[in-house]
Amino acid sequence: MKRTILALTLSLGVLHSARPEPSNEEVEARKRALELAGAFSNEGFKIRDGNWCGSLKSGTGKVIQVNLYAGNQYWFSAAATDGAKKLEVTVYDEVGAPQTSEPYQEGTTAAAGFSPVASGAYYVKVQELEGEAASFCLLCSYK
Amino acid sequence: MFLLHRTLASGLALLCLTAFAAAEPAALTKEEIAGATRTDDFSIPTPGEFMSALDKTGKLAWKGLYRTAIRTDFTSRPQIALNLGTLIADGYIAIQAKEAQSVRNVGKDIMTLAKPLSVKDKIIERGKSLAEFAEKGQWDEVNEDLEAMQNEAKSTLSENNDADLVVLVTVGGWARGTEAISGYVAEHYTAESAKLLRQPGIVGYLSEKLDALPEKMRDDTSVKRTRSRLNELKTAVSFGRDVTPTVDDVKKIKAIATELIKDIAKKETK
Repeated sequence: MKRTILALTLSLGVLHSARPEPSNEEVEARKRALELAGAFSNEGFKIRDGNWCGSLKSGTGKVIQVNLYAGNQYWFSAAATDGAKKLEVTVYDEVGAPQTSEPYQEGTTAAAGFSPVASGAYYVKVQELEGEAASFCLLCSYK
Repeated sequence: MFLLHRTLASGLALLCLTAFAAAEPAALTKEEIAGATRTDDFSIPTPGEFMSALDKTGKLAWKGLYRTAIRTDFTSRPQIALNLGTLIADGYIAIQAKEAQSVRNVGKDIMTLAKPLSVKDKIIERGKSLAEFAEKGQWDEVNEDLEAMQNEAKSTLSENNDADLVVLVTVGGWARGTEAISGYVAEHYTAESAKLLRQPGIVGYLSEKLDALPEKMRDDTSVKRTRSRLNELKTAVSFGRDVTPTVDDVKKIKAIATELIKDIAKKETK
């Protein structure tokens, strides 16, 4: 598991696509998200090599589409930098209806455990409920 | 972990049932859905994740999903990228089969195709550790290394101003994964495994990315054929959430995916 986290942390700076280089705040947020996701690795969850980082303001959220397979279990783990006080991760189906997920929330970290009953597209929203502007990073683990 | 959290969540739910009910999140707006981010490395699952889901439907004979080695002497860079993706999917099949020799063989072919794309130097160490972990039977580590190798190859393409090739690697991997899995499901049909083939979000994203390629790349014969087949596949894998594909539906997906893989691996004659 330590090897996974080290490898993923080192890979942050070189992740593909034409994205801009991650800021120091995003690197910090990813490190925190990896620590959270690492707990799920102990239960056999594999952390996807990709990540989604950005910035949030209090009371706002950002949404990303993910494609999931029925039968797999997923954890979406998010962390933010210190400006944020409370985060929330919510999973929605392909038409935007909120899905029942297992919530986790502690300070600047939050996660949602989700087992899709149908394969296909879903949406994950990371929302800052309290705090100031902050950077965040979201990771996906599956088993 | 799920149990632990379920226990905690249950306790909290008892204490705060009313609050939870009141706090149920609202549905996403049309604007939120339309504006949702989609990225290659987060929105699109790896072939390994697809195979992991299939693996849960029973004990699979993964070796039966191998294909004969493909040629590696392509000259068109887009075609090389497409075939690199298919080889990465072959690597995931070899991992599921837990066969070190096949992992080494696929790794060697990946290196051969990586060279003309100028990404070999960046992934060569990963290729060595992949083979070493396979030799030791450390399959979780092999899986991690293959995923990292795929992403390092893509990141190097981007750094080398070849970002347009990234989607072709992804398309190749997804197509080969879909071919292998639909083939298995067609032969060992269950409703549960057939429903795994529903992937409208993935094929929609990939089709849009291919449509947005520069004209010169879209004119490449292998890319033209891929776009055409992908449109056929898009229809075939975009069935409703509550629909269970029949055996014939699955065979159709397999047939289209097989033709796509043949097109990708076909040597152009000028």
